[in-house]
Amino acid sequence: MNRRIAIRNMALVLASAAVLPSCLNNDKGKPVVQLKHLKINADQENLVSNVAETILPKTNTPGAKELGINLFIFKMLDDCNTKQQQETFLAGLDEFDDAVKKQYGHSFNDCSQQERTAFISSMEKPKPENGKKDEPAKSAVFYNMVKGLTVFGYTTSQYFMTKQVVYELVPGRYNAWFPVKKQAV
Amino acid sequence: MANLNIDSVKSRTFDAIVIGSGMSGGWAAKELTGKGLKTLVLERGRDVKHLKDYPTTNLYPWEFPHHGVIPTEVQEANPIVNRCYAFGEDAAHFFVKDKEHPYVQEKPFDWIRGYQVGGKSLLWARQTQRWSDFDFEGPARDGFAVDWPIRYSDLAPWYSYVEKFAGISGNRDGIAELPDGEFLPAFPLNAVEDYFSKHVKKSYQNRHVISARCAHLSKPNPIHLEQGRGQCQERNLCQRGCPFGGYFSANSSTIPWALKSGLCTLRPFSVVESIIYDEKLGKATGVRIIDTNTKQAIEYFADVIFVNAAALNTNLVLLNSTSNRFPNGLGNDSGVLGKYVAFHNYSAHISAEYDGFKEWTTDGRNPAGGGYIPRFRNVYKQETNFLRGYAAGFSAYRRGTDNSDGIGQTLKDNLAKKELGNWGVGSHMMGETIPKESNYVTLDKSQKDQWGVPLLKISVDYDDNDEKMKKDYIEQMTEMFTSAGFKNIRAESDHRAPGLDIHEMGGVRMGNDPKTSMLDKWNRLHACKNVYVTDGASMTSTSCQNPSLTYMAMTARSVDHAVSEMKKGNI
Repeated sequence: MNRRIAIRNMALVLASAAVLPSCLNNDKGKPVVQLKHLKINADQENLVSNVAETILPKTNTPGAKELGINLFIFKMLDDCNTKQQQETFLAGLDEFDDAVKKQYGHSFNDCSQQERTAFISSMEKPKPENGKKDEPAKSAVFYNMVKGLTVFGYTTSQYFMTKQVVYELVPGRYNAWFPVKKQAV
Repeated sequence: MANLNIDSVKSRTFDAIVIGSGMSGGWAAKELTGKGLKTLVLERGRDVKHLKDYPTTNLYPWEFPHHGVIPTEVQEANPIVNRCYAFGEDAAHFFVKDKEHPYVQEKPFDWIRGYQVGGKSLLWARQTQRWSDFDFEGPARDGFAVDWPIRYSDLAPWYSYVEKFAGISGNRDGIAELPDGEFLPAFPLNAVEDYFSKHVKKSYQNRHVISARCAHLSKPNPIHLEQGRGQCQERNLCQRGCPFGGYFSANSSTIPWALKSGLCTLRPFSVVESIIYDEKLGKATGVRIIDTNTKQAIEYFADVIFVNAAALNTNLVLLNSTSNRFPNGLGNDSGVLGKYVAFHNYSAHISAEYDGFKEWTTDGRNPAGGGYIPRFRNVYKQETNFLRGYAAGFSAYRRGTDNSDGIGQTLKDNLAKKELGNWGVGSHMMGETIPKESNYVTLDKSQKDQWGVPLLKISVDYDDNDEKMKKDYIEQMTEMFTSAGFKNIRAESDHRAPGLDIHEMGGVRMGNDPKTSMLDKWNRLHACKNVYVTDGASMTSTSCQNPSLTYMAMTARSVDHAVSEMKKGNI
């Protein structure tokens, strides 16, 4: 239980960070999460958190920020990605936000919820082939990394594994022939 | 002073010394102490006590910092062990990291090691099949390696003996090439495994798909409860160490049993530098170790020595045990020490789908892993253009679809809704490799480890026979899958280095002739009668069964022999 509260508090800290005035010379502000390898500023940090929250918003069930999945994303990016993947991620992040600015005239962080959802929905749809087998755009790579980590973080979270699809540490059984009809969904 | 010295020697003298505390060393410790011998067990790694030292055993996926993923820094620092399927965030602490103990790869070889009390018995895949005479007669019949000095009848009672204690689940399938054992109830085949089993039985001669036999307590007997072990709870998180003692490991079974006797001294942090040979007495008198914490060299003495350091390290210990009498390694009059190292070829697998049995699924987890296909090639006669054959795993599974489409509530619904798709089926090959003189290990002439022991140089590779066998596995399994109506068949051959099978064997092989082998029919050095080798190093050929059960049986048999020799005054 304490874990849960701690995670929630961390998420709250992070969420509130966005509204704290930045007191650094750097107009991008200082990130809240302490990372070892990945260098991101507060704007970028917020953008990733906002993208995760748009992918997995709070509905009548918790969203990405409430579950601390954005923190998990940073941890995974920092610890479980190569330098090259991290560079691609950052380049993709910039490209992603440039595309947002081009479309709406401001950064993803300043978008309304509707604008965010509309833009992320467009990222979900595969781009029509323009006849060339190009490498995917960096923004698409960035988006897929955030989406993949959001889904991984969510489906392996305590909330999901206790409330949605229950994970059993100790099944205590193996039924080799189990009627589908009996399966609790 | 002199008295002190004598006292010190006395305190370092035992009836028996066992080098290694894993799969076979644990058995040697249990059997020696069980027969009343004061036994010292040397382990190069740290102690891992059952239950107490399984830090991750009860963790949920979300309780791991990276939810199970090994961080990139660790992966990049450990290219070798990182290739092992069981090297995850939950069990990484039981594996040797690449830098901890380097070795020289003359040819690529992924040497997977577990340096702790219990060794790799904590981490194994727990598959246990007996050998038969089709295996023991292999080299003599097909003209490779040397004739095994034992046959199935020599080992059969010992298989029974160790199976009863370890706890093996399986069916009595009545297959000549895979003898039945003393079984606890088997984990059943599921709908599609059972269908394939019936299909294969009906369509092919002498091909079988049986429930995999494994070292799990499906239904414990009093002897298992006496060990403090309980029923397997189907967690399938065995590599973490089991809180129920549901699978066999040295940690849960043989080592605590030996310690309970009061006759066992377990000494972790003890790297064996060499075995001491006394030329006047014409036998080994003890073992020289380096304490890994103090770097101090210490000698221990005993009447009989069991070398169970794991196949390649047993080679290293013997190669490094030189004297005037044995300049090329203990017992190495023949010159074959370190040679004829072999392994299992795991480099092909195949998967497919089956669009049937939609009304059935499975519930819970199967620790046996599913089905097992015993060797069917070249069993009764030579019928292909390659020697020997392969066993294979076979399993069917029905998982919920992973749908991560969309965003928002749609995504949440997709992730929570597990629709059952088709059954998936999979198989991997476990091929016998032919021991060759050109596959060897030796000591590096210049490089030493931090304890002053020479690094092991490994030169082991596949050959043409392996390639032909792999091709045949893919052809035969594809045909069997096709005739069973499986769809989307995908056969894949990979280019893994030898070693990742974690079944390296040989180098100190058994044989009848001291001129061409190291060990006699009792697993004892031909040329040094009080040193026994009963781990993978002793294997004359590899067949294709998972080898651990055979090491256990050989060890129990050899201890029985050693003690009777001691009683007769021959040791």
